[in-house]
Amino acid sequence: MIELVHLRKEYDNVLAVDDLTLTIPQGEIFGLIGPNGAGKTTTIRMACGLLAPTLGRALISGVDVAQAPERAQQYIGYLSDFFAVYEDLKVWEYLDFFAHAYKMPEDEIPARITEVIAQVNLEVKRDAMIGGLSRGMKQRLGIARAIIHRPRVMLLDEPASGLDPKARLELRNLLRSLRDQGATILISSHILTELEGFCTSIGIMEKGRMVRSGSIEEVTAAAASTRLVRLTWSGDSLGAVEENLKKDARVSGVNLTARAGSFGFSGAEEDLAPVLAALVQANVQVTSFGEVKQTVEELYMKLSTHEVM
Amino acid sequence: MPRIWTNPEFLRHRRAELRSVRAITVAAVIVVMCLLLGLACWSYEQSLLENARLGLQNYGTQAWQQRFDDLQRESATKTWLLFYRWLVGLQGVALTFWALFSCAQSVSGERDRKTWDFQRTTRLTPAEILIGKLLGEPVLIYFAVLCAAPITFIAGLAGGLPFSAVISMFVFLAVTSLFLGLGGMWLSTLLESRTRGVGLIGALALYLLTIGTFGMRTSGLPGLAAMSPLTGIFVFLGLDPSSMHKVTPLLFGHAVPWLLMNVLLCGSFSAWLALMLIRNLKRDYPEIRPLSRWQAIGCAAFLNFLIYALLSPINSLGPAGRVGWFRDAESVALFAVAMNGLILFLMGLATLTPQERLKVWQRRRATGTSAVFADDGLPWPWLGISAVVAYALMIWGLLAWDHALPLDLTTLQSAAIRLVIVLVFVTRDVLFLQWCMLTRLRQPVVKGVLFLGLYYSAAAVLTGLASVSSEDASRWMLALLTPAQVFDPKVQGTAFPPATYVGLLFQMGMIGVMRNAITSRLQRPMQAGAAA
Repeated sequence: MIELVHLRKEYDNVLAVDDLTLTIPQGEIFGLIGPNGAGKTTTIRMACGLLAPTLGRALISGVDVAQAPERAQQYIGYLSDFFAVYEDLKVWEYLDFFAHAYKMPEDEIPARITEVIAQVNLEVKRDAMIGGLSRGMKQRLGIARAIIHRPRVMLLDEPASGLDPKARLELRNLLRSLRDQGATILISSHILTELEGFCTSIGIMEKGRMVRSGSIEEVTAAAASTRLVRLTWSGDSLGAVEENLKKDARVSGVNLTARAGSFGFSGAEEDLAPVLAALVQANVQVTSFGEVKQTVEELYMKLSTHEVM
Repeated sequence: MPRIWTNPEFLRHRRAELRSVRAITVAAVIVVMCLLLGLACWSYEQSLLENARLGLQNYGTQAWQQRFDDLQRESATKTWLLFYRWLVGLQGVALTFWALFSCAQSVSGERDRKTWDFQRTTRLTPAEILIGKLLGEPVLIYFAVLCAAPITFIAGLAGGLPFSAVISMFVFLAVTSLFLGLGGMWLSTLLESRTRGVGLIGALALYLLTIGTFGMRTSGLPGLAAMSPLTGIFVFLGLDPSSMHKVTPLLFGHAVPWLLMNVLLCGSFSAWLALMLIRNLKRDYPEIRPLSRWQAIGCAAFLNFLIYALLSPINSLGPAGRVGWFRDAESVALFAVAMNGLILFLMGLATLTPQERLKVWQRRRATGTSAVFADDGLPWPWLGISAVVAYALMIWGLLAWDHALPLDLTTLQSAAIRLVIVLVFVTRDVLFLQWCMLTRLRQPVVKGVLFLGLYYSAAAVLTGLASVSSEDASRWMLALLTPAQVFDPKVQGTAFPPATYVGLLFQMGMIGVMRNAITSRLQRPMQAGAAA
């Protein structure tokens, strides 16, 4: 669990993060969205203890990062947009160093190293010098470093930037499996498609402030007063469709062609069922009917004020 | 106590630097070098013996016979001794130099490679990182010295040196190299990756300064020479140049061995460095503050204490009575005031408050929830406390030395005025540096110190120009702009010229100006948005 309580960070006369309060429950994947300079990196660096907040507290699994940094670090896996590694070590030595640095039990370390090396597909490079690895392999090794101590909380700052598509997919799968194991994940990105279908909740940051946060559904509901519903049908039922839809006061913006159309609906999700039932009763052969979910990108574009820093 | 051999950071360096092939190569090279050195020493002694044999053949005198016999009898011992001296000399230079320079790149190097953040987010405590780096960064030279150690021991003992002298030499080198390693690591912590070159220059300066303390053996504080590796080489190699015969380091007037003095000084300075490192190693760069307020006062007290502990008025006794540094209590007080100018300035530097913390303090101060003496406040109140502590120690020190340097009340009164003047100038300079930290200057403290250097140079030029019109004018200029008049030997007791007091008032006004400038900087409105 991640708790950020009234976090504030000032640099010179710039307010990087302003009174940020956020709670991410266990098992959530929280996507932090915002343009460059919105305060995402500063927030993550404060959460993992790399930066001391000007005011406020960051708690990881209930431990104050500033008060008990070494205790808090056992719960944190940190990954940034750069994958710097010690080039003069072998792959297993690098992971062994971090396993010991995270003070894992001595007898667990060899097996755990083998396990994470397999997770990031570096088995054949186990005894290779890191200096001789490709960039992609070094990035995978960085990911292995971040998860070696089985962290409860992952703090990921633009982790996929610079990764090739395959590595991105692998990272996603890895994070999903970590979430399934109960890890809480805070991931920042300005590449919104990266977070699509992956985060359980999102927060939009701008100018150091959280503009909106919550589950994808909550944010969608807050962003849109009406739901966009798309439907298709077979046969010549355009008139019946138009007539039925116009009967409902919650329907607006009806846009129909011969066998397809869309409309706005201001009711709740479950209120759509009677609308569909009415169409079926009117002998319209509905072949598809459903709400069009907005992408994270669309949500961001709606909610963001697009102010440039 | 962290375990050294299982320290992950030490283990990382050991793995990276001492892979089996490299370790075997280093060991082989060391053995070959020792052999070559041994051969060279044997060859040298043999050439002396050959010369003596030729001399005996050509001249056949009793003196040549005597010389030949002596050389033949002592040839083996002298060869071993010469071999030992070369071995220890080379190891001493290599060990101290390598320890300092490798540690001077430890933290800045990690910042450069961007691996530092990952190490900071581990569960390693600052003390563990410190020990790992201190012993790990120079692990290759430690290994090389370890390889040469058995040969060195044998050479020393065969050269006729007592076992204790050989051991003492190694202790001396170990203590000095650890101290230099800590100094290098502290420099490295203070530098961002882009200023690594400055760090190396700083390390070189620190090395030369440490070597240069050898020159202090004839000063009023001869014990300071114990910090120089040269002292160890001269004393423990049995070279004993004439100057070393006469000088013994004094601790509270009692002669102590050089090794003990080395351990005391390097040990205590290392402890301060370790304290600063442990406080700051895991902090973000802008958050680094060498010492807390109370620690800074403690450090100032320690440095003052050292002055009186190492003082050697007896050493200054020349054939024509008291000569040298400390002729009387007045000269000790003047020296202590001068040193406190430097000490207070360093303490001011060590306690400068980062901008962000100062702003929070200012806001809290406005609401009445923070005190002038808060840890995040301005450093000037703490400079005042440091000066009071320094003066109290001066009274204690001068009273302690009363039997050798008789003390009168005027000396204490005069020293008090001098210390106040120095304190005012130092406070002004420290507040200026604090103001620099609130500007957008890159490396504000370094630039601030350079600006201060420029200011004092300009003051010297203006004083020179004023001296063209009259001596009085130059004296006024000097007193208004610098604290130099404090050290004017013509001033008797408390009879300072009016210019000194006018200068004091002028500088107090400047402190007020600096204080207002800082406040107005702190009250600038914030702009939203991150510095990416």
